[in-house]
Amino acid sequence: MEGPRRTEKAELPLTALRDGESGIVTSVEEGRGGGHGRGRGGWGFKKRLMDMGLTPGTRVTVVKSAPFRGPLEVSVRGSRLALGRGMAERVFVEITK
Amino acid sequence: MTEKKLTIALAGNANVGKSVIFNQLTGLHQHIGNWPGKTVEKAEGTLHFKGYTIDIIDLPGIYSLSTFSIEELVSREYIAVERPDLVINIVDASVLERNLFFTLQLMELETPMVMALNQIDMAEKKGIRIDHKKLQKILGIPVVPTVAIKGTGVYELLEKSVEIIEKGGINPPVIKYGEEVKEKIREITKLIEKIQFRYPARWAAIKLLEGDEQVEKEIREIGPKTLPTAEKLAKEIEGIHGHSCSTIITSERYEAAGKIAREVQQIVPKIRPPVSETLHTITTHKILGYPIMILAVLTIFQSIFTFGNYASELLSNLLYGWEPLFEGLLGTGVVKELVWGGVAEGIIAGVTVALPYIAPFYFILYLLEDSGYLSRIAFLMDTLMHKIGLHGKAFIPMMLGYGCNVPACLGCRIMETERERLLAAFVTTLIPCAARTVIILGLVGAFVGIQWALALYVIDLLIIFLLGRLAFKALPGEPTALIMEMSDYRFPHLKTVGKQTWFRLEEFIKISFPLIVVGSLVIKLMEILNLLEPIANILSPVTVTWLGLPATTGITLIFGVLRKELTLIMLATLLGTTDFARILTPLQMIVFTLVAMLYIPCVATIAALVKEFGWKKALFITVFEIIFAIFVGGITLRLLILTKV
Repeated sequence: MEGPRRTEKAELPLTALRDGESGIVTSVEEGRGGGHGRGRGGWGFKKRLMDMGLTPGTRVTVVKSAPFRGPLEVSVRGSRLALGRGMAERVFVEITK
Repeated sequence: MTEKKLTIALAGNANVGKSVIFNQLTGLHQHIGNWPGKTVEKAEGTLHFKGYTIDIIDLPGIYSLSTFSIEELVSREYIAVERPDLVINIVDASVLERNLFFTLQLMELETPMVMALNQIDMAEKKGIRIDHKKLQKILGIPVVPTVAIKGTGVYELLEKSVEIIEKGGINPPVIKYGEEVKEKIREITKLIEKIQFRYPARWAAIKLLEGDEQVEKEIREIGPKTLPTAEKLAKEIEGIHGHSCSTIITSERYEAAGKIAREVQQIVPKIRPPVSETLHTITTHKILGYPIMILAVLTIFQSIFTFGNYASELLSNLLYGWEPLFEGLLGTGVVKELVWGGVAEGIIAGVTVALPYIAPFYFILYLLEDSGYLSRIAFLMDTLMHKIGLHGKAFIPMMLGYGCNVPACLGCRIMETERERLLAAFVTTLIPCAARTVIILGLVGAFVGIQWALALYVIDLLIIFLLGRLAFKALPGEPTALIMEMSDYRFPHLKTVGKQTWFRLEEFIKISFPLIVVGSLVIKLMEILNLLEPIANILSPVTVTWLGLPATTGITLIFGVLRKELTLIMLATLLGTTDFARILTPLQMIVFTLVAMLYIPCVATIAALVKEFGWKKALFITVFEIIFAIFVGGITLRLLILTKV
């Protein structure tokens, strides 16, 4: 029933989830930019995602996504976050029912 | 008897009602400044309570104490180094777990604390009940339930705070990390204790494990031997857990916060979702969200401009009526010209042109922010803003720009990184403010046709898009994406909104009025000394040859640096008529307006840019925009001649 993208790999970026689907965070990738910009690049934003509650093992639900590849509204640790695509792509999850 | 002085800092996440509590505590006795050397706002207020004079510091709303933003750095440095007598941690009861994550970090700074468990009414509406006594017991710090907008619990909060300080300020207990991490922390702590670091040793040890660059840098200067050990231990932890050490520590902190939250809160799901939830669903809806937003924004602009026009006219009739009074006092000579034409008219223009639009603009903006709608707009506009390398939040200063560019430039502080602040400010200065709207509508709109005026707005948007994209490509650094909490909708606290508006107005007046007055004086002097003609002649290669305009427009464009709407007023004075159709061709009007719209905002905006980004960048933007405007003006002239004739 499910598309091939779901069976090939257990880990998916948050952006691959459909509205209403949940997953458990497995890892958060650092930014492509690495560490430049005095820690403001990759490291800073990974840390930011963690600080907002997206730590490994956390359950996260994609509530909806804005049209035209817009940001995602996710629910994590009882709070509601808006995550731009660039951010959401770095968060990898394992799908749960 | 002299009153004893105390200092209490307010700390917490954004949108937890922190500024409302600040207002409830300090009332009218507050002032807003900047943290020394930083573009971060510092709100301070005083109050008298039980024989104490208490200084309240409202720290910025943040989610963590890492190095992500200047706000976080400022806050942790203040708490750990300046050492207030107590920190009141304001917590949103409806998002307990995330707020506790911050609480635990505050506790690690080893500062005496009291918690205000705020918005308990909203939490209950969502079906969340919190046993605050149990929370108090687990955390080991006093917890006072509050509903800030109603003032509930604020007195008790203060009472509790003073009580803790009188007891000598008990340091809260700290959270316990997993065995491996705990051991390493202990080891590094011992090393740091030896080198007399200005931050608490245990906190610094944790930060070293997390790879905190700021702490690393400072320790390198006083005790570099600590660093390799910390690095080695961090590697060991990473080896055990398979994640970066920073990830592990953040996770453990969140686990601790989550555990406490689960122990103290009882969630009874409501059968019907609260109104705020429904409102959120509609206003962020994939399809409905956009028309609602457009309607809301248009309504806001419409009402601001209607109100602004009305108030502006009322004020100018009143203030310009004072001219005879000045004439009576100072005669009609040079002195009167300078005092009235230079100083007084400058102030009057500021009062009548800027304030009637800026005051309501700020007020509505803060209403929207306080209620929660601004974050929804940022959510909806994110995709569009990305096209110019910014994210959704940048839409907010851009919106402000249509009112006035000065507050808009200052508003770019909401962006997270320096790069984004600069990019957003650059884009914002290209937005036609209320004064430029006067020119566009008053000249092109009135004499050429409204469709041409609208076309200018569209051209402006295209230019913003293009230049924004170019600047985004040219500026080094990684584009960042949106990450923002969308807290529940709530009723804004009008008093707080009113105060925020007032402080912003004060800031605006401080930045722009001195410059407007000095500028008016200079130009008045030039006029008296008959320097205007020669200047117009010097500029004629640009104005006449390249732009195809009458030479006098050169003077008016210089006046426009002061305040844009002056270009139109000056044009009328110099040419001796307000019937512009008699002196300018439609083509000239379009070119003139286009140039006026694009060349640097005004002297006050330049001042705002200097304040935020320094001389160099402000100068660069200014020079670039002047050249660009002249270039576009000339090209447009030639294009229009080619296509029309």
